[in-house]
Amino acid sequence: MDPLEVFKIEVTGQEEFGAKKYRELIMDILQDLGLIRSIGRLYVYIDIMQPVFAVYGLLRSGIPPLTVKDVGDVLEVEGGYQIKINDEEHMADLLKVLWAQYGRERVEQPSRDIVVIASDTSPAGLTVADLEAEFLQDLTDALLRVAPEGFRNRRNEMTKDSFFFIAAEETLKPELIARIKQKIGEMENA
Amino acid sequence: MLEPVMFTGGVYKHDLVIELVEDLGGYVLQKNVTQSEVILLLLVPSEDMSALESLIKELRGELVRAPLAGTEVAVVTPTLAIHHLPHTACDIAEYLRRNGAKSNMMGLARGVGREIAQINEYETALINEHDAAVFIFGNFAECIRRKESLYRGINVPVVVTGGPEIPKEDLPYAFEYVPSIGRVAHRARKATEICTLDNIVDAVGRALDKTRNDISKDPLTTSPPRVMDAVREQVPEVEYSYSPLPIALNLNGVRVKLPYEGYKDAVAAVTFDEGVKLGEIATIKPSRMKDYILVRILPASETGFVF
Repeated sequence: MDPLEVFKIEVTGQEEFGAKKYRELIMDILQDLGLIRSIGRLYVYIDIMQPVFAVYGLLRSGIPPLTVKDVGDVLEVEGGYQIKINDEEHMADLLKVLWAQYGRERVEQPSRDIVVIASDTSPAGLTVADLEAEFLQDLTDALLRVAPEGFRNRRNEMTKDSFFFIAAEETLKPELIARIKQKIGEMENA
Repeated sequence: MLEPVMFTGGVYKHDLVIELVEDLGGYVLQKNVTQSEVILLLLVPSEDMSALESLIKELRGELVRAPLAGTEVAVVTPTLAIHHLPHTACDIAEYLRRNGAKSNMMGLARGVGREIAQINEYETALINEHDAAVFIFGNFAECIRRKESLYRGINVPVVVTGGPEIPKEDLPYAFEYVPSIGRVAHRARKATEICTLDNIVDAVGRALDKTRNDISKDPLTTSPPRVMDAVREQVPEVEYSYSPLPIALNLNGVRVKLPYEGYKDAVAAVTFDEGVKLGEIATIKPSRMKDYILVRILPASETGFVF
């Protein structure tokens, strides 16, 4: 069963096999990059005679930015604050943010998972990483991998809750983009 | 009749296998030592196979037929980008290798797209140095039909692979078309996928048989393994080549992996027991692959004798 709510794929001409395989391929790539849970609906339109490849997707609710209290426990200690790191994945980002905020001389790391800050303002609310930006970057990467390689003229429109990606061999003209958008609209309303 | 086989076993006493094969008048094509294991590609006279089998049984080794041994196959993808590699192309290349072929992977510079796909003269000439080629295409029938221009100018038999079923008449320039292996983003592990790889190996086998058949109508002056043996003996520098297979065998000659300018005369001067020099019975020219020497044995119709 697809983890996506809606996943429609339409290919022109006698290309049922291609449609089936592209479905598998898109699932494989989205799963590889861990994006599948963040996409709600996906519509893929491929016109092999043009040739053009388009994907339109609706994203699930936005991902909140990662703050210091998400990656570790913040405790008030004598002369400042101590962070006990639980999630080491974002350690580098965390140190960078703390250095920028407090200055290197006031940030100390006595052991691998402990960071002590000599300051009287709590770091708990500082943003460590913008996960949404990372997600959008991964999504763009996935779309480039999914699109047939020869389709070098690409356009990617991303909004807060949706994305529209189109790739073709020939120059992307406004009429073509409008036609494909209309096709995808039809798929959505069908 | 020489039978191509592959021996897999321990390093201990494997030299007995090599000795026996040489005594029987066979050839060792390739020797790969991987830590404590050794893989030998051999050509053995079919009437003496039982002698080799009994020795290998004694050594607790394994002997399997390697139908593609002594041939070089090009595995060609439209480019070397993530869209085609690693899964399909590497699976096919590895599978051909396990059946004894020397497979070379090639990505074209501008092979992508439906309208814009193209191949240049250098790439065509390089593929023509092989005994057969496998072209790996994608999932859309229309694109596979259009990409015929990529292999139209290639003289060796071309096996085309792709996703959908396409009638053979639609691809007149392909030797054979093997369906159900288009663009995939995972390794071949299901039984059906492995079966498709088997189909590719079978198709390549048939393509090579066709070439062998063509050659047998006007036989080569001498056999490529014999040339390989003589070159190995009389140009000892070849053993110092860093290449894992210093002399690669083709159906109609060999490729010696030494710089052309430095060693072309030494290779041409290789003399056989009959007193014939290699330069007299073969053309020796620069290979399109790096700076190697390409030896193409002339047929009997040109030299007037066979030995």
